[in-house]
Amino acid sequence: MPISAPDPLLQVRGLSAGYGKIGVLNGIDLTVGAGEIVALLGPNGAGKTTLLKAVSGLLPRAGSVQFAGKDISSAGPRETVDAGLVHVVEGHRVFTQLTVFDNLLLAGYGLKRSVLATQAEEALAFFPEIAAKRADRAGSLSGGQQQMLAVAQGLVRRPRLLMLDEPSAGLSPVLVDRVLAAAAQLRSTGTAVLLVEQLIEKALALADRVYALARGSIVLEARTSEADLPNRLERAYFGSGD
Amino acid sequence: MLESIVSYGLAVGAIYAMIGITYNVMFTASRAFSFTAGMLGMLGGVLGALFIDRLGLPAIVGLLLVLACGAVMGVITEIVAVRPVLKSIEQHLYVLSTLAFALLIAQFTAIEWGTDAAPFPRLIPIGEGLLDQKFWIPMLACAVTVVGLELLYRKTLIGRAFLAIAEDAYAARALGLPEVRLRLASFALAGMIGSLAGFAGGEMLLAFFGNQSILNFYGFVPVALGGMGNNRGALVAGLLLGLFQQAANFLVGGIFASVAVFVVFIIVLLLRPEGFAGASGARRV
Amino acid sequence: MHLRWLEGRLTFLLLAIAAVGLPLLDDSYAGVIATRACIYWILISGLNLVVGYAGQIAIGWVALLTLGAYTTAVLTAGTVTPEISPYIALVASGAIGVVAGVIVGLPALRLRTFYFAMTTLGFATIVTQIALAWKSVTGGGIGTPGPVFPWPFAPGWGFYYFCLILAALCTWMTANIASSRFGRSLIAIRDAEVAAEASGVAKPALLVTVFVFSGALAGVSGGLFSSLQSYITPDAFTFDLSVLFFIAILIGGRGSILGPLLGTILLTVLPEIAAPLVAWSTFLYAALLLLIVLLIPGGIADMLDYRNRRPLQQHREIVPQPALLPSLLDRPAGGALELSNIALAFGGVRAIDGLSLDFHSGEVHGLIGPNGSGKTTTLNVISGYYHPQTGQARLNGATLPFGAPHRRAGFRIARTFQTPRLIGGASVLENVMIGGTIDGRGTFAESLLTLPRHRRDERMLRERALQALTVVGLETLAGVRADRLQHSELRFMEIARALTLRPAFLMLDEPAAGLSAEEIRRLGALIKAISRAGTGVLLVEHHADLIFDICDRVTVLNLGKILAAGTPAEIRSHREVVSAYLGA
Repeated sequence: MPISAPDPLLQVRGLSAGYGKIGVLNGIDLTVGAGEIVALLGPNGAGKTTLLKAVSGLLPRAGSVQFAGKDISSAGPRETVDAGLVHVVEGHRVFTQLTVFDNLLLAGYGLKRSVLATQAEEALAFFPEIAAKRADRAGSLSGGQQQMLAVAQGLVRRPRLLMLDEPSAGLSPVLVDRVLAAAAQLRSTGTAVLLVEQLIEKALALADRVYALARGSIVLEARTSEADLPNRLERAYFGSGD
Repeated sequence: MLESIVSYGLAVGAIYAMIGITYNVMFTASRAFSFTAGMLGMLGGVLGALFIDRLGLPAIVGLLLVLACGAVMGVITEIVAVRPVLKSIEQHLYVLSTLAFALLIAQFTAIEWGTDAAPFPRLIPIGEGLLDQKFWIPMLACAVTVVGLELLYRKTLIGRAFLAIAEDAYAARALGLPEVRLRLASFALAGMIGSLAGFAGGEMLLAFFGNQSILNFYGFVPVALGGMGNNRGALVAGLLLGLFQQAANFLVGGIFASVAVFVVFIIVLLLRPEGFAGASGARRV
Repeated sequence: MHLRWLEGRLTFLLLAIAAVGLPLLDDSYAGVIATRACIYWILISGLNLVVGYAGQIAIGWVALLTLGAYTTAVLTAGTVTPEISPYIALVASGAIGVVAGVIVGLPALRLRTFYFAMTTLGFATIVTQIALAWKSVTGGGIGTPGPVFPWPFAPGWGFYYFCLILAALCTWMTANIASSRFGRSLIAIRDAEVAAEASGVAKPALLVTVFVFSGALAGVSGGLFSSLQSYITPDAFTFDLSVLFFIAILIGGRGSILGPLLGTILLTVLPEIAAPLVAWSTFLYAALLLLIVLLIPGGIADMLDYRNRRPLQQHREIVPQPALLPSLLDRPAGGALELSNIALAFGGVRAIDGLSLDFHSGEVHGLIGPNGSGKTTTLNVISGYYHPQTGQARLNGATLPFGAPHRRAGFRIARTFQTPRLIGGASVLENVMIGGTIDGRGTFAESLLTLPRHRRDERMLRERALQALTVVGLETLAGVRADRLQHSELRFMEIARALTLRPAFLMLDEPAAGLSAEEIRRLGALIKAISRAGTGVLLVEHHADLIFDICDRVTVLNLGKILAAGTPAEIRSHREVVSAYLGA
């Protein structure tokens, strides 16, 4: 990184988290710069989802999380969202009983009415495929469309950093490309993206930097322009035994 | 005979349905059933009699005060008896904490108000016989509640937030919805519905501290039969329960009517533990 | 557990001495209070097994007191039937209590907690209403006189000693159950139902037994109550009494005998000490209940548990001793367990699609795959929790039926779980002893009276559990409360519990999750030794190194189908497997 670079948008230091007695993350250090796409890769059980949950405050954690100059180490999801860091959880969990547009309005709950309506429209415009279905119940959408809706929900508050947890899960290749293209579009508007993905090749093609997480620790950090990444990743995943 | 059964049955059934809805609103907000639904209904009647009869306030003012007290009771319930035990929800401590709290309030009422059933004031001097206002005021209140809830859920953002939390509390939290505030609001709303039921049904049930246990049970039957969290089910089941109970009353007399209701309730539950329209259980392993 | 029993014994002894010596005070009113405490305790000791041990929230138990009281009163009054001796009437009350206990209790098997609580309340209301209405038998609101017992148990101190003897008997019997495999099974149903099922505990049969027993006690207690009151009316049986019974158990603490006993004494004596508070007594009970639930859910028993407040050694290591395995497992019957062509769908989602798999004694078979590939679901099918749409499971050629998870233990199939299932309030040893439940031969009645077969069972289970703990390396923590253990220790404890069954087949669900590298190494050695001692092991894991280290064969699942199967070396170099993990 250049010497005079500004502080990264998201700075995570020594992050540890788990579920009850089960420790999952052991002292993670990670940064995301403004306007860049960072991919977080790793085998199942490595702790990728736990990491996102710990950053956004859905899980209690130890360690330091700094975002846009603010210390959100002990913040819950509400404060994190207000600060401009939005977490789109895995599994395209939208509210099936409500309409598409209502889902977007709820994502901006607490914003002033006029502002909310405008921003919800903007988010919807990002995905023309579902814009036409704005008055339909979210439960009637296909899996891929629900995923697009979930990402659109993340956009309503115009976040500075959007965290996407396995947006490609269960989607056909065409839809996967569509969702990842949306992420690229976000980068061009200045929004940073932290992307957890299973599909290594596509993630490497999209991202600027990559972290690999295995057994609760970062085992690899690199720019995607570096050579021989797939092999380095495979070795990092299957490990040579600690 | 038939008209009598219909009048009494629908009126009482409307009260039961509203208590069932009270249970449902608290349940969908917290995933916990609260024993305070009957207590809220009881307070609606007792406080209504207190404000209008003893203090001489006009009926409308009495109603508004009762609703306010109901909301306050609901909020206190959430803070004292529900929130502290939500983290260990599998231990079902909320059954005991809400039971204890409801008992506290009921006993306090018994001591301060007295254990006898006092008459409830006539609210509107309209109607007589089987069309007396004491029959259709509960039905009106029930209709207002059901329609009001529909409007709340369909037209307001906060209503849609309630639905969101009821469907997927985790996703709602991740989106940044203010979980605690919304739960408090739900309990306040439940408090108002419960106390409205007691107020509207005051003339039928009288101002009696013992209404707590009666309403707790008979208000729960619509929930059990209609499915947890299902307000439409509670409405239908509540009205049917009222009619069934009155019919049994006339046919076999008071005591056996209660036995009849209980037996039918148990049989239905054993056959369909989730009610007629309930959801299936979660994965255990 | 033995140690806890000893501590309790001292208190019981003191109470017994105080109770026997009470007449020396020459205060007949104190005698009445003491008699009432004994009568309540007879009911509460039984209810304690239902509420404190089995965890069923049965709030309306006063109904059984009512039924017992009226049965005895009516039979001895001679108004409806010829006059019957009060002792026989007492037995009749017990019988009625049994019937009522089963009626009230049966819904517990089908209904959720809150629903069940409601039905018990409804039942209590009904009984009171019937007592009011059935004037010809019960005297309606006017009431009916209670029986008078003849010498030597005449009203006064004689009757007091009668109730005291019965109360002591109930204390002894329920304490025996508490320290038997039935007591442990009850707590297991309450706190770790899935683990209880996997260990062979049949919930319906056990719950019904407990309802029968406590119903009998409640009925007898009612009969004695009607004698103490000398005249009973329906409003002697208020909801407040039910709440009192409940609070006594909760104050005392769940899973304890001494605690609720002290709670009963406390609650019976309290209103007498604070006479002006009588009108407020229910209010205070309710406030007390609320405080207990919010502040000290563990009750008095927890407060008195000094032993479990002693600090544990900080940096503990788990050192398994696999060499001891052969003597523990005692050459389990070998064989093969196979699944053929299993297809299982939930709603519209195919969780498993045409899966065929087998593992046999002496081998470690690894099952791996990405999240959502169906690994745990496969284990659950073998465990009997799910009923696949097609396919069969076979054990040594004979069909293994689906949908009966508690029967798996009988086939010597044991398992551990993705998240450790434990009884936090019980000791590690007690947790592990649950694994051997099905090998106990004694009946509930034999445990009630600590007959020889019960003692043999306990000795055997204790020995076996201790052996299992030594094998996995946790023997120094045997007496410690399980919820004080670290996560990795809990994982090994689950394995010890499974080993106590002497399994022919052992299924492990991600046992290495959350373990350190050294612990994983020791775990691997242990698992390998278990298989070499004759048990067939099916290992579901994410830790690739563990799998490749110790497995003889590996099957890879992806999206519910088998992607590849073979030796670890074959799998490691299998291109498709690697891409499935890394994503294509």
